[in-house]
Amino acid sequence: MPEFEDRELVERAKEDPEAFGALYDRYFPQIYRFAYSRVRDQSLAEDVTSEVFFKALKNIKRYTYSGHPFSSWLYQITLNAVADHYRGAAGKEVELEEGAGLPSNEPTVVDEVVRRDRSRRVWAAIDQLPRQQRAAMVLKFSEDRKIEEIAVILGKSSGAVKLLLHRGVERLRRDLPPELEPELT
Amino acid sequence: MKDPELQEIFTDRAHQEVVDLLETSRPAAPPLDPHFRSYLRAKLMTEARRTLGPQAARPWFSFLRPGALAPAMAAVAAGFIVVLGVEVYLHNQPTGSSVAYNINQLDRKTNVATTEPIKIPFSGPVDKNAIEASIQIEPATAVSKQWEGNTLVLVPNHQLAANTTYTVSFKPLATTPTPNPSKPSITTKPSVAPTPVVVHFTTTPAPVPPAVPPSFNSSNVKWGSDSRLAEAGTILNATWTPAGQLLVTVPAGPAGPSASTGATPTGLPAAKASTDIWLMSALGTRLRLLAPGATLPAAAPTGGLFASWSNSGNQSSLQIRDLQGNLVSTAASVAGVPDRAAVWVGNDRVAYVDHGVLRIVGLHAPVNAATFKVDHGSLAGSVDGQLLAVESTAGSLVLDVASGDTRTKLPNGATGFAWSVNGDLAFTVPRDKGTDLYLLTKGTFAPIATSPSGQTWSDLNWGPDAASILLASKPTGSSASVSNLALINRDGSSLKTFGSVLQEYSLPQWSPAGDLVLFTRRDDGTGGKAFWTATATASAGDAEEQQALAEVDSFMQARIRGDGNAAQAEMDDTARAAYQGGGATLLSGSGSQFDRYYIVTVQRLTTNSTRFLVGVRVFNAKSGVETSFFEEQLTLLRQGQKYVIHGAKASALRPIGHGPTVVSVQVVQSTAGAQVRIRFDADLNPTSVSDSTITVRDAQGNDVSEHITFDADNHLATVAVNPPAGTYQLVVTTGVTDINGVALAQAYDAPLVINR
Repeated sequence: MPEFEDRELVERAKEDPEAFGALYDRYFPQIYRFAYSRVRDQSLAEDVTSEVFFKALKNIKRYTYSGHPFSSWLYQITLNAVADHYRGAAGKEVELEEGAGLPSNEPTVVDEVVRRDRSRRVWAAIDQLPRQQRAAMVLKFSEDRKIEEIAVILGKSSGAVKLLLHRGVERLRRDLPPELEPELT
Repeated sequence: MKDPELQEIFTDRAHQEVVDLLETSRPAAPPLDPHFRSYLRAKLMTEARRTLGPQAARPWFSFLRPGALAPAMAAVAAGFIVVLGVEVYLHNQPTGSSVAYNINQLDRKTNVATTEPIKIPFSGPVDKNAIEASIQIEPATAVSKQWEGNTLVLVPNHQLAANTTYTVSFKPLATTPTPNPSKPSITTKPSVAPTPVVVHFTTTPAPVPPAVPPSFNSSNVKWGSDSRLAEAGTILNATWTPAGQLLVTVPAGPAGPSASTGATPTGLPAAKASTDIWLMSALGTRLRLLAPGATLPAAAPTGGLFASWSNSGNQSSLQIRDLQGNLVSTAASVAGVPDRAAVWVGNDRVAYVDHGVLRIVGLHAPVNAATFKVDHGSLAGSVDGQLLAVESTAGSLVLDVASGDTRTKLPNGATGFAWSVNGDLAFTVPRDKGTDLYLLTKGTFAPIATSPSGQTWSDLNWGPDAASILLASKPTGSSASVSNLALINRDGSSLKTFGSVLQEYSLPQWSPAGDLVLFTRRDDGTGGKAFWTATATASAGDAEEQQALAEVDSFMQARIRGDGNAAQAEMDDTARAAYQGGGATLLSGSGSQFDRYYIVTVQRLTTNSTRFLVGVRVFNAKSGVETSFFEEQLTLLRQGQKYVIHGAKASALRPIGHGPTVVSVQVVQSTAGAQVRIRFDADLNPTSVSDSTITVRDAQGNDVSEHITFDADNHLATVAVNPPAGTYQLVVTTGVTDINGVALAQAYDAPLVINR
């Protein structure tokens, strides 16, 4: 979808309910998908998605184009909504902070990767990455966002995002089980 | 690895292999309740309709007086879009709610714009075919039906009638949802409304037909508010149709009404860009795709044809179409891709430039015109089709199209031609430090004004009354980072500039009715040019007429309030006797109320007299819904310093929604005869509009009509008459029928004053 269309639609959505509905139609799938990738629970993903779009509606008139796609704004809201949810849920999310990392022979990762098919194994491994790496990897490889856009969403510099991606890929390279290695080489 | 961004990060082979694996795989789709998406949408839309307001108009000029806007123009400025808000909550939602409707967005609304499509959004899956089949509109209105997702868009083939209460009914039939296996405990049922949903809305008032032309005076116009038609670059060029809609060229692509398209922000189409021509409302809503793959439209000065270029390979053809998009003829073919629009010379000839050479083609007969080399010189055809102003490489001239002779040689450098409806030609002649503005009238030209030193004038455009000229003014030699619009009287007096000094304005175009000005302005954000419109309200030229109409308004408002004493105070004894004698009803009966009124006709009884005949239509409402109407012919005369109601004669009460009606009658006087223009509220069967169903009769009942024409686009019948001055009777019989064959609600029979 050309960015140009987005901007016009967003401007209309500040006054026109139908235009807001069109934005919802356009972005629901990826926001729900992204929310689910963060919470791994259908019911929670529904709650987060609902909160994202109601917050977007409430604040749409204050949205101003900053050179990045409208979706960046929605992703930011999604990340905040997920964080808010876990704050309210007394830290049920297993947070793996930057640098905490996984040991190279982390058994849960290996078990997961071995058990599932090739694609599922890789994405399951991504699920085990630290929070920021995981978000960057999902946005890049699942949502096809540009690095500059990911930087806006995560509130980091482009260089920091590149570092997150590099670390994430490096971690996958180290953690993928031997059964997968022949397929990679 | 396909992504250049990733190629930059991952140069190590082992990393690249992981990236390749990630690029070729995707996480499994997350589980999703199939009803969650539509359920959330319905909730969001309810909240959106509650919280999102209509678009506020922004002031255009620093010296605006928005309070002076007429109600009709204010309605246009507000950009009211016809939307029926219908929310269908399906029975299978987790909350278990039943079918609910919300039609507050439109029901019983007034001042609804006549140029917009009717949108009916549904919040759940619907049976589109069944809904389309159930649509009924009164007065009869031909529409095309389109869907944007779950929103039904009804695009009227012609503008809606002003002053008219429309009734739209439909059956909101939902489809049968698929069973929800994840939640089998919830019963899934289609929700079918047992009865049609009926919505009433009333269109914006029309300007009161002038009794004493020119009531419209473009040189004394009050500017209102501006509104951007679309984002910069999404409209490449635009021009008015005679009916007050727009022909626009847009980048090609699928688009329904109001849809947007991607485009580079530029003011002109790229030579090889694929473009479409759409009919667009004055508020910026796309109404109809007229010419796929075409560009550079030019509307005929009257009627409903336009010319445009369509390219195929190395050939381009000049196509003539009607405003339904039907191809009427191919007028010419040229090699390559033309870069300028054709120019109409009247309604049956078109001039165009073929590789720098002027050519003229007749739609009905060949044209023998001299050949001129014009390159990119200015061209403009007179409205009557007789003359063509040409800036050729050998000099500028006015060409007599019929004979091919040069009628007038213009001064060296003459360019920027613009013809008025009266046959005057305005043009510019560039000077070292400015521009001279010339006027050619009755074969003689003379300069009428010179631009301020250091300013260049261009983009001339006449007011629809030929009283003034709009133009663009920019610093000489500038690349036009700043330019203003200016208005100047036809005699060169009273130059008024306007627009922000920091903006770039260009290409002003008056709408045919003089209520809007179309122009381009460079966008602050993108730097591209966007098309805008600004409202303009003409000042009345006749103080007597205005006083008489103000008196009518005081009288009618008192009756609408139910204030009999106040209404009595506006009448003389003759009028009081008329009401007391039963010739008319002053106040509404019990159980109903006078809801609104509008003026159908204003006629001056004799030249320069202080007596007016004003026809008003008065609507009765019960429980807030208009159910019937009647007409009164009010006579007003001046007594001292004010006008009073002197006489009144009322028609019978007529129910609403039982056939087309007459909504306005205007008598246009001239020394050559008079035209009686009768406007209807419905799409009529054209064959039912004839000299046997519409007549003008003298006191003896003799038909004095000469001939009748019918403009279906504007619901307008025009009767030409040329009898002696006097009072006549206009009779429209029930032989007039709408497109569904329903006859006129009641014969229309009202006095006419021919006054020359």
